[in-house]
Amino acid sequence: MANDPFWSNIFKRSGGDDIDLYEILKVIPIFQDLNRREFRKVEAILHRRTWGADEAIVNEGDPGVGMYIIVTGEVKIAQRSEDGAMQDLATLGGGDFFGEQALLDESPRTASAIAVEPCMVIGFFRPDLLDLIESNPRAGLKIVMRLSQMISVRLRQTNRLLKEARLRMRQIEREKEAREERERLERERQEQEREDLLAKGESS
Amino acid sequence: MIEREKASAISHPIKALIGIAILVGFALFIYEIRGILAPFVLAFVLAYVLAPIVDRMEGRGLGRTSSILLVFVLAFTGLGFGILKAGDKLTGEVRELSDRMLRDERSERKFSLVNGGQAPVLIEEIVWKEQVGPLAAFSLSDDKLLWPVEVKPGEEQVFYVSFAPDTPVYSSAGLLLHLGGEDVGSTLSMQATGNRASENEAEWGAVSVDGGANFELQQRGIELSPGRIDFGEAGPNVLTDISKIAETIQPTLQSYLGDDFDLVALVKEKGDTLIDTLLGSTTVFLGGVVSGLTFVVIVPFVAFFFLKEGRHITRGLIELVPNAYFELCLNVLHQINGQIGGYIRGQILATSVVATLAISALSIIDLKYALPVGLLAGIANMIPFLGPLIGIISASIVALATGGDLAMELVGKVVIIFMVIQLIDNIVIQPTVVAKSVEMHPLMVLFVVMVGSQLMGIVGMLVAVPLTGIIKVSAQTIYEGIRGYKLQ
Repeated sequence: MANDPFWSNIFKRSGGDDIDLYEILKVIPIFQDLNRREFRKVEAILHRRTWGADEAIVNEGDPGVGMYIIVTGEVKIAQRSEDGAMQDLATLGGGDFFGEQALLDESPRTASAIAVEPCMVIGFFRPDLLDLIESNPRAGLKIVMRLSQMISVRLRQTNRLLKEARLRMRQIEREKEAREERERLERERQEQEREDLLAKGESS
Repeated sequence: MIEREKASAISHPIKALIGIAILVGFALFIYEIRGILAPFVLAFVLAYVLAPIVDRMEGRGLGRTSSILLVFVLAFTGLGFGILKAGDKLTGEVRELSDRMLRDERSERKFSLVNGGQAPVLIEEIVWKEQVGPLAAFSLSDDKLLWPVEVKPGEEQVFYVSFAPDTPVYSSAGLLLHLGGEDVGSTLSMQATGNRASENEAEWGAVSVDGGANFELQQRGIELSPGRIDFGEAGPNVLTDISKIAETIQPTLQSYLGDDFDLVALVKEKGDTLIDTLLGSTTVFLGGVVSGLTFVVIVPFVAFFFLKEGRHITRGLIELVPNAYFELCLNVLHQINGQIGGYIRGQILATSVVATLAISALSIIDLKYALPVGLLAGIANMIPFLGPLIGIISASIVALATGGDLAMELVGKVVIIFMVIQLIDNIVIQPTVVAKSVEMHPLMVLFVVMVGSQLMGIVGMLVAVPLTGIIKVSAQTIYEGIRGYKLQ
């Protein structure tokens, strides 16, 4: 009787009912500071959706609206290179997330995310975050704080990479200069030799 | 991108057709049920007005439900207080004003004779004792009455007296009562109630003969002289007043426009229909809408759920959207929500500021009916270009009708007041509260106002522009959203 379709709750959201969101979301950095109560508030504003295989979750160039957290399934992150071909950047699985920068501004997506297989994904969007900041500033602030920390970590990483790249570039430049200097000296030496030879020939 | 194009390419025209069909069906449905939409629209507006306050309270740590309840209690206490303070005055003034505007049965006075004695009383006739004022014309209405009328002990007989408010003088009346039979010793009490207060409100209301005392029937005839019983006064209606003014300027106009031009006839003919359509439908609408428990119950109830469940409703809608348009819909809905909220709050603020300014200024210059006229001016101000005209014209008509000898001076003051209010509105209020994005072309305004009046009368005229504003804002946001997503 318990599974009689007539009596079961037909209004219950289908798909992923067995999955405890808390377990998945508590490891996501931006939700880490939330307590149970605040977490329930956030849970109420998340969107749970499913995508079929090969369906695009976000498209490169579209305005970003928010972040996605993969519950089940695999998602491919790809970018269109200058010659127009799609270039795979990464493959993400359950517990991974992407697009968190769009929570802060509406800049265009820098890459596409395409479901490799049927996926269940949780969406967390800027309008909802703004509402949360209005209605529950404490929880909103905790999320934004974590978000900015993440961005700053990434910025620091980028800075480090940039610094390394710059160093490497300078090194390459220096090597190039040294090589050119060597070649120049070599050329001068050869010229000198040639001149010496000519001088010798004239005199003899 | 590729996948989305592939998926939607096949069924795109069919989808579009279905979408259009659904939209058209929805519009037709809305039009069909427009009669009952008013409380829902009002609740919607109320929810948008109260939403920021509720949000702020929720942000302070109160639960959503308790925040809404608290805001409701505060808002409705304030509203109730306001209605108590101004409501009586407002309804009284509106009724009086429409009485003065309309030439209809509202100018009737009702009075009743109650037989308080033991024996039946036979009333042979009631005739006019006296007519006060040279052109006063009265009639005892209800032709079905057959004389003599017998009033049994303990019974009540109602009579109607109608005044003719299209005579350009104030009139009052006295009655002569002829009694038949052998009723000496019976007690007959008389009570008169007017639909409209006389100029001096204190002496009207429920007047009875000899200050409410019963009177003994000692003779066959009882004379009710104007001095003893007052059936109130009936002033000429506004149309008559305006025709009187038209008469004075007619010769001047005729010298320019020829003798064929009959301003008085024109005013009478057009004014009749105009006042009938405008005020008739308005009072019917107000009567249907404001009266009754429906509004007191339905509006707060619906507004409560809009406030409490609004986010869930939008979330539920978004859930239904296909993946490809999901982000777009989410974003666009959010922006529309913000824009509509701003628009509604801005309009309400502008309306109340203009109405307050108009009411105060008109009261200062002692214009009668300042409250309803100022309120109308404030509400009409939502309609660009035409709204201020509505305000200035209605106030001028009232000034003409009630000003007496100083009418023209009063009209001048009214015009100056409205010009100053317009200046304040255009320089201070509009730029700060009304978003630039809702600016409409004058032709557009004219068109939608006419469509509104065609569909829903004067209410439609008032609603047309804000509604178009909301649709325009939504369409703009959707268009920009779609362009941003490069979906075509």
